[in-house]
Amino acid sequence: MEEQRVKLSKRDVLKAFWKWTFFSHSNYNYERLQASGVLQSMSHIPEKLYPGDKEEQKKFMQRHMSFYNTEPHFGGIINGMVLAMEEERANGASIDDDAINSIKTGLMGPIAGIGDTLWQGTLQPIALAVGISIAAGGNVIGALVFALIMIGVMLPIGYFMYMKGYTTGKTGVEAILSGGKMKQIIQAASIMGATVLGSLTANYVTAKSTMNISVGSSTLALQTDILDKLLLGGVPLGITLLTLYLLKNKKMKSTTVMLILVIIGLICGATGILG
Amino acid sequence: MSISIIQAILIGLVYYLGINGTPWTTLLGSTILQKPLVAGVIVGFILGDPVQGAIIGAAIQLPFIAYISAGGAPPTDPGLAGTLGTALAMAAGVKPEAAIAMAVPIGLLGTIIWVLHMTIDVFFVHAIDRAADEGNMKKAVFYHVAMPQLVTLLLGAIPVALGCYFGSGVVTDIIGLLQGRPLQTLEVIGGLLPAIGIAMNLRAISKPGILMWYVLGFILAVYLGLQTMPIAIIAGIVAYLYTDLIAKTEEKTVALESSEDLDEDFI
Repeated sequence: MEEQRVKLSKRDVLKAFWKWTFFSHSNYNYERLQASGVLQSMSHIPEKLYPGDKEEQKKFMQRHMSFYNTEPHFGGIINGMVLAMEEERANGASIDDDAINSIKTGLMGPIAGIGDTLWQGTLQPIALAVGISIAAGGNVIGALVFALIMIGVMLPIGYFMYMKGYTTGKTGVEAILSGGKMKQIIQAASIMGATVLGSLTANYVTAKSTMNISVGSSTLALQTDILDKLLLGGVPLGITLLTLYLLKNKKMKSTTVMLILVIIGLICGATGILG
Repeated sequence: MSISIIQAILIGLVYYLGINGTPWTTLLGSTILQKPLVAGVIVGFILGDPVQGAIIGAAIQLPFIAYISAGGAPPTDPGLAGTLGTALAMAAGVKPEAAIAMAVPIGLLGTIIWVLHMTIDVFFVHAIDRAADEGNMKKAVFYHVAMPQLVTLLLGAIPVALGCYFGSGVVTDIIGLLQGRPLQTLEVIGGLLPAIGIAMNLRAISKPGILMWYVLGFILAVYLGLQTMPIAIIAGIVAYLYTDLIAKTEEKTVALESSEDLDEDFI
């Protein structure tokens, strides 16, 4: 006699996706980061997969309390996949705790790397740059534009990833990770990001000299007569490149570099070189 | 400008909602509210001047543009800089550049709140472990949602409300004392600090040749006077065409190499 299959409805999957979207970081902590976020997002699942079976429900809860930390929008693909694996397991497939855990721990790092690069490293600065350029002129719409760009891009990505993970399972995720398309997207995104950062430097890093230099009988304004002739905004550009050099090549901590900038500002401001 | 108790409490709540991962507006929503660009407008609205809030918030946003929250130990807290920083800067009536210089050290203080919340939440993970051993899902959900959020609310909203209420007078007095060259120096420092956000972002996306694109964006802005949006669009188009070309060339090289292999086999 064949046992009846338990099946998760579309509603069950959606519910898990929304709980993950809202509560993934609710109990973010140093010991296991998003562990209980994974469990809570699937809190309605054990009763569906193992109706009345207290022992299996307990095991389900225990195995989803392991260390987990990923970028939650792109990383949703792992959660979706885990959900599919749990469904298979409940139907008798031989998927043990180790298999589920190794999928989670094996994929969370690489996907977080891709996700954070694209989201926090590229999309967010570009959207912020656009928002800042509107808001700096005294327009409250700048904040709204930023928020709408983020929601408009990230929420669909989160949804797509979660559902993709659930429907395609393990093979689908590996195909996405190894594809050349991903490399191209990241490359294009960083080019776009770097260009926008260039325009931000031009607009918002400010360092202007008010000094005058006397040459014989004539006076030259250091900023307008000399520096601007060489390269408009050359000082802010130089300062930013110096900052990058200290951070990247000298491997200084950001707080140390910040202190160096404060000292430079203090000296140049107090002596009137900049002002 | 003075800040009333009610205004201070509301600003404290804005800070709480912007702590990375507070669930009420989704994880994404919390990171949006965390941005000084957004928090500045809301704080400005609470204080009765959203336009000034937008200007101050946009300025404070700059050093935090590359803020990436990944894992456990963020170097600074844009949320605190954007809420408390905007409030105090508006109360003192300073220029945006001076607001940046004020907000950056405030941001550093915020890491204390984050570390406390990340540490205290460890207790709740253990409580959820026990709930799992009992198979008690309701209890697990309670310890995941209610308890950590109660703690975060208290940890976040109270210090910010107190800081706004008692800090505004102090900061206004200090700024009053600094009139002239000292305040100008503060503005010089504020003008330099956005470099740190931009450089950190550049480091994060650093690849060979990426600085060329950075300089291109700089030149487009300085000499053509283009706004950020058109530069972003131009960069997007060029980036697509460029990476597409590279991908196609790579395909061709691979194809060429494999056909050469064939020739060798024939010989």
